[in-house]
Amino acid sequence: MRRLKLIRVIALAVWVGVPVGADAQEPSTRAETLQREREEKAQNLTPPQQGRLERGLMDLESGRVFERLLNPAEGLYPKIGNITTGSGFSLGPGYRYPRLFGGQVEFSSFVAASFTRYWMIDARLEAPRLADGRVGVGMHAQRYDFPKEDFFGLGPDSSRDNEVIYGLRNTVIGGYGTYRPMTWLNLTAGVDYYNPDIDAISEDDSLLRVFSPADAPGVLVQPDFLRYSGTVEVNNRFPRGNPRRGGRYAIAYHRYEDQDVDLFSFNRVDIDLQHYVPIVRDRRLLALHARAVLTDADAGAEVPFYYQPTLGGPDDLRGFRHFRFRDRNTMLFQAEYRWEIFTAVDGALFYDIGKVAPRRQDFHLSEFERDFGIGFRFGTVNGVFLRVEGAFGSSAGAHFILRFGNVF
Amino acid sequence: MCSKRPVPTGRPYGLWGLAIAAIVGAGLTLTTRSATPAFFPDDPLQVDNDRALDAGKAVRIEGSNAYDFAEQTFLKPGDHEPRPAVNVNTIDEVPDSSWFTNRIGRRAMSLDEIVRGPNTLETPNIDEWPVVEGKSSGITPGYRVVAPDGRLYQVKFDPPSNPEMASGAEVIGAALYHAIGYNVVQGYIVDVDPAKIIIGHDATTVDLRGRKVPITQANVDRLLRVSAKLPNGKYRATLSRFADGKPLGYFKYFGTRPDDPNDIHPHEHRRELRGSRVFAAWLNHDDSRGLNSLDMLEGEPGRQWIRHYMFDFGSIMGSGSTTPQAPRAGNEYIVEWGPGFKTLATLGIYVRPWILVDYWEEAKSVGRFEGDFFDPVKWRPEYPNPAFDNMTPADAFWAARLVSKFSDEAIRAVVAKAKYSEPGAAEHIASTLIKRRDKVLRAWLTGVNPLVNARIGPDNVLTFENAAVEAGIAKPPTQYQYTLSSFDNATGVATPAIKGGVVGGTSGRIEAPRLEIGSPSPVLRDAAYIQVSVSTIHPDYPMWSNPVTFTFRRNGTQWETVGLDRTSKSVVKK
Repeated sequence: MRRLKLIRVIALAVWVGVPVGADAQEPSTRAETLQREREEKAQNLTPPQQGRLERGLMDLESGRVFERLLNPAEGLYPKIGNITTGSGFSLGPGYRYPRLFGGQVEFSSFVAASFTRYWMIDARLEAPRLADGRVGVGMHAQRYDFPKEDFFGLGPDSSRDNEVIYGLRNTVIGGYGTYRPMTWLNLTAGVDYYNPDIDAISEDDSLLRVFSPADAPGVLVQPDFLRYSGTVEVNNRFPRGNPRRGGRYAIAYHRYEDQDVDLFSFNRVDIDLQHYVPIVRDRRLLALHARAVLTDADAGAEVPFYYQPTLGGPDDLRGFRHFRFRDRNTMLFQAEYRWEIFTAVDGALFYDIGKVAPRRQDFHLSEFERDFGIGFRFGTVNGVFLRVEGAFGSSAGAHFILRFGNVF
Repeated sequence: MCSKRPVPTGRPYGLWGLAIAAIVGAGLTLTTRSATPAFFPDDPLQVDNDRALDAGKAVRIEGSNAYDFAEQTFLKPGDHEPRPAVNVNTIDEVPDSSWFTNRIGRRAMSLDEIVRGPNTLETPNIDEWPVVEGKSSGITPGYRVVAPDGRLYQVKFDPPSNPEMASGAEVIGAALYHAIGYNVVQGYIVDVDPAKIIIGHDATTVDLRGRKVPITQANVDRLLRVSAKLPNGKYRATLSRFADGKPLGYFKYFGTRPDDPNDIHPHEHRRELRGSRVFAAWLNHDDSRGLNSLDMLEGEPGRQWIRHYMFDFGSIMGSGSTTPQAPRAGNEYIVEWGPGFKTLATLGIYVRPWILVDYWEEAKSVGRFEGDFFDPVKWRPEYPNPAFDNMTPADAFWAARLVSKFSDEAIRAVVAKAKYSEPGAAEHIASTLIKRRDKVLRAWLTGVNPLVNARIGPDNVLTFENAAVEAGIAKPPTQYQYTLSSFDNATGVATPAIKGGVVGGTSGRIEAPRLEIGSPSPVLRDAAYIQVSVSTIHPDYPMWSNPVTFTFRRNGTQWETVGLDRTSKSVVKK
């Protein structure tokens, strides 16, 4: 019996060893092997999965939602940014319609307000590409209220301790024409009507609580003005939005005609020179900026303090408060060394000097206010979206700057 | 301590032992017979039939540029385990499939065939082909038209600042990628006569507010204003024919499509995707990413399958589509921390070497394209690509061999297809492609032991070619050393018959390698398979001493090549 049992075990073992079943299961060709893998996968097909983030980004891109919402070429959009220097962050609705008269004329408008109660309404009708793009004309209307403009007094020796505020309301209506004989040359002429109004007493720290009317010409009476302008601009910056070479050299003459009291008519000349010196194939560059604003009142007249040029703030003397220095004439020199760190991220070392003076003959090249600093710019060749800077070395201490757009 | 105990003869230990032996033997039999053989009868597979199962349920995959950039840059998706490509056949080649069709790598192509590429038409005249819709994606201006046969085409215009640049790149890229073996759409250079543009009855586009609106003449005029105008008043453009089938979006360079039963090989381990890094480097196709691919569903309902396309070559060879390509392109990822932080920390005193490269700027139709600074090994796409990252020396060698098939004459003929009108433009593009091709070959055709095309002739002589020598980028080696073995296909065990065989001498050069395998040893006499492992001894390329193992299968009186292994993982019996 035991022998029989063993024989059965052997027989079973031998039978099991016969690879009939195995041969039936194993593929006999490479193609069959692959086919079986595919058949196995076919049993477990699932639709492609995308996470919420990917779906969201995809929707934004495919619908061009960012572009359509934030900066559409047509329709409603949010006006985001600064209304003016010192206004702080502002927001409001904007509207564009670029297809009037077969696309020749564009209408644009916005209303914006800031958390510091600055606000502005602006409307424009422009035909920027007439005569094969060589001629542009436009008209605009604007109303704004800047309730907390800084004033430290006039002249280079004004004191920071005398900081006061005033409110400036204004209505501007005007028009302009531009002729571009060459792509790099712009000739512009325009006329504007101004209706300024100063509030110098309503706040505790208002201007007239510290300064006398003699210290702030025009604080008691604000006539309407007609302003005539002419500008010559040579612009061969490249790329235009975030220049790496070339320059912009502009001189503008403005004539402010007092329409009411004949006490505040004056001339103003703005000279603005930007020059970009590529050092290492546009990846390093020196950006140089010189600006002079010269005013000249008519005989017996004065330049109203609120139309006198200023220095100080995130766009010129960055180590100082907004409008820290104000007088009839200003001079500013800025030098920046910019270097590309990553695509879309530049570093910048900067040095600013500037001064104000009551008379042009006081513009000797000494006794400048100065600052220096370091910053980062985020953007593309088309423009700087954001800049973050620290300004140091001034008599006013360190300043941190977070600002949309380039410095100049 | 141990003692030897006698086995009583009257007890049935013998039968039990036999039973145990039978069970063990049966197990071994099972193991042996069910193990996958090294070579199947249909090896080497020339066609991977990845159209066999119905993929009709596959759905369209849309992608986000921002997400793709962030995912590839910061998350590094896909399998990055080092391993050989998974879709190669046993002779280390890529079988034809819905991804790739061997063309110039498998057969000689005439110049006309290379230049024609995927195109089936002569230069079409699209006068009065109606505009039917706006162009929905991309940064170049354009619209879609319908041909008289009802087929849909896309028209893309060159930028005014760089006439002929993007369109030239598009047709050259399409022709080269097609000859290499990829699926590409048909593309033509056309001159569009503005007076002959007809707006279709129901033509629509998406307006500035994202609404679907009728296309007007003002739309067309606005588009032409930002397009390159020729001296004859026409506008040069690329005309691309829409691929057959239903669009399913794009393929990723990692994973597989979960809704396609035929897609079983992870894309990051597909040879033709890994190796496409070589072609991208050659052509500076820095925009080679998943979103520039295209999946199309073809076939009849119930028998549908997906064809995979390479797509959009307008930003290769120094063209950035609407502007010349940025100098960084091909040299560095968009975000590459090391050089960025060095630049930051040194306030820009550290200058990345590529910044100092000089480019030829004599023709606006040529973007930033050069061959002197180009280093194929250091070449980078815009951001990481999992398949590119996984490229092995064997993948690169495979691709470099394909690049080596493009002669100077072929390259010049393809460049002529772009119809560059500026003096020197075509010559610069062609000479740069040739220069870059040579660098590609030197970098990647020499990275592995470059032996290919092994054959045993009727005279029992083994011949093979040295691809690097054939391409003229390396001198002949001093010696080949080989081992000749019989090979057990079931177990994968090789039994050497001749070890340490030498062809050539240390002081000489082998011009025509021939290994005599006649008069074989007894182990070869009845072998169904034999293997020859060949090491190449070359003073300039020490890595060539890693053997290439060729496997041959007896077929009557002939031997057919069934295996080529550069990884040398064969089990060799000592």
